[in-house]
Amino acid sequence: MTAVIEVQNLTKRYKDTEALAGVSLSIQPGSIYGLLGRNGAGKTTLMSILTAQNFATSGEARVFGESPYENPRVLSRMCFVRESQKYPDDATPRHAFTAARLFFANWDQALADRLIEDFQLPMKQTIKKLSRGQLSAVGVIIGLASRAEVTFFDEPYLGLDAVARQIFYDRLIEDYAEHPRTIILSSHLIDEVANLIERVIVIDKGRILLDEETDAVRDRAVTVVGDAAKVDAWSQGREVLHRDELGHVASVTVLGHLSGAERAEVAASGLDLAPVSLQQLIVRLTQKAGAEALAADTQEVR
Amino acid sequence: MIEEGKALFIQIAEQIEDQILDGSLTEESKAPSTNELAAFYRINPATAAKGVAMLTDKGVLYKQRGIGMFVATGARQTLLTERRSAFADRYIDPLLAEARTLGLGADDLAALLRERAVAASASEGNPA
Amino acid sequence: MSRTLNVIRLQLINRQTFIWVPLIVLASAVLVSVLIYAMIPTSDPKYGGGGQAPLWVFFAVGMSAMTMTFPFSQAMSVTRREFFLGTLITAVLASAFMGVLFLIGGGIEMLTNGYGVNGYVFHLPWLWEAGPLGAFIVYFALALFFFVVGFTGATVYKRWGPVILTIASLALALILVALAFLVTRLEMWEQVWIGILDLGALGLALWGLVVVALLSVVSFLAFRRATP
Repeated sequence: MTAVIEVQNLTKRYKDTEALAGVSLSIQPGSIYGLLGRNGAGKTTLMSILTAQNFATSGEARVFGESPYENPRVLSRMCFVRESQKYPDDATPRHAFTAARLFFANWDQALADRLIEDFQLPMKQTIKKLSRGQLSAVGVIIGLASRAEVTFFDEPYLGLDAVARQIFYDRLIEDYAEHPRTIILSSHLIDEVANLIERVIVIDKGRILLDEETDAVRDRAVTVVGDAAKVDAWSQGREVLHRDELGHVASVTVLGHLSGAERAEVAASGLDLAPVSLQQLIVRLTQKAGAEALAADTQEVR
Repeated sequence: MIEEGKALFIQIAEQIEDQILDGSLTEESKAPSTNELAAFYRINPATAAKGVAMLTDKGVLYKQRGIGMFVATGARQTLLTERRSAFADRYIDPLLAEARTLGLGADDLAALLRERAVAASASEGNPA
Repeated sequence: MSRTLNVIRLQLINRQTFIWVPLIVLASAVLVSVLIYAMIPTSDPKYGGGGQAPLWVFFAVGMSAMTMTFPFSQAMSVTRREFFLGTLITAVLASAFMGVLFLIGGGIEMLTNGYGVNGYVFHLPWLWEAGPLGAFIVYFALALFFFVVGFTGATVYKRWGPVILTIASLALALILVALAFLVTRLEMWEQVWIGILDLGALGLALWGLVVVALLSVVSFLAFRRATP
């Protein structure tokens, strides 16, 4: 299966920061990807470059096998509404959707109408005057109803309350089931989207930390809690992501899949096993990467 | 319903298996479709499809072209056999570990087990 | 090509921007001018600059076409080339619309003898020297000029930042001042005025269109790498 997006060693440098540092990945068609990372990790920069809204300093990005810059063949099959999207002065949601209908060949007005009702979006109010949640709803509706072959959702939930977010996830699943396409969902609400995404890409400080199938990552870590000495003895030789201590009790999160036998062994020695959610795993991985980078920097300085 | 630390598609498959085992999903009846599962559990349809595929491979479900997925005849028996052999790993080993912590020996355990099992079947037989 | 046409439709989705606001501004300016004329107690023809009001609207529209509509067009997956061309064509069409309004206004003024108060906003003699077609081209060129200046300024701003824009504007101003200084030193003002009068409003307008073309090239070059 040829990748729909191929990124090779993409770097984006601003005056004194590197928004992207040698990112390489490939996105297969017909899946929902999660692009996860902290604020400023490089998610929006990556998506902007893929849609030719921004330019790489070096490296290559190809969509549908071609460079997206000034390429209507490629661009017309993508949709990227960014988190702080600007709309024409005095435009109303009605104007925005009329415009979207002009440019997205697969635009489904019926779906848009349904979503407008779901989100209770006031159609005649200027976008300038909409609440943050309503503004997000406009972007979400454009993204979903465009049915573009490659759709990016850039932190689409900002300003949406929990109910509205759930509506978005439900509609997304429903429409994706009937009209499979490639969806890249950037978010830092990891646990909320964990069940939606088939593949996880974690980006931190412009680097890819993780690029795997969600299910493979889901049982990738485990937390062992109990008597500190026993816990430390057990975690010898394993990759420790995080350690907490309270009195004589220690809690250690390690990377690695435990077999049934290993689990039994842990239980037998009087220690407790706790699962690690995707969010916790990614948070720990990110913190670990940060600490390692800091140590490396300190080394260099010395 | 959905728990952490276990592959999602496996959990979906197990949920369907549970339904077959407790009789709420009978043999030769229609199993929920991938899209229905995805909407109900609020998960990606591809993940639901993976769970269904796993059950199809096991012979628990089969596909009727143009209609959908159905529970295979003998599925319940297949699952019973499978679960029984996993029973010891899944339930007895943790039980033994906890018993050891509490200082309960094998005889104590056996006595407790008999006592509780009798009480449980008695309450099932009696009207509430 | 059809996508470029769709950009034109995009710009015109909100009828207010290119049509209603300039129209309303123009109408208000005319109204105010006529009221003022009515109050001036002379029977000589009165001329005023009320007609310039919508031109400033076009300047603002040119700016926001870049600062607000361009980022939106990027979300619509439109290429920069398509957006640039489509927007420019829209500006040409809207400027032509303004030109037509100008002609109609001039016609009304001729027929009513300056709204009955001998006051003129559109039919300023110098602008109509070359006849109605000339007047149309003059106003068309003015509207387009204001739009393109706003658009180019905004493009330079988005691409290179406020500092460069300020420097460029200052440089332009300095060049004009330097030219004026030169003309003064060489005592050539008379020739300059005669030249201008010879050109007439129409000639100036045509030169204005040349400037418009130049500015368009500048803004396109800046635009190619602008980010929304």
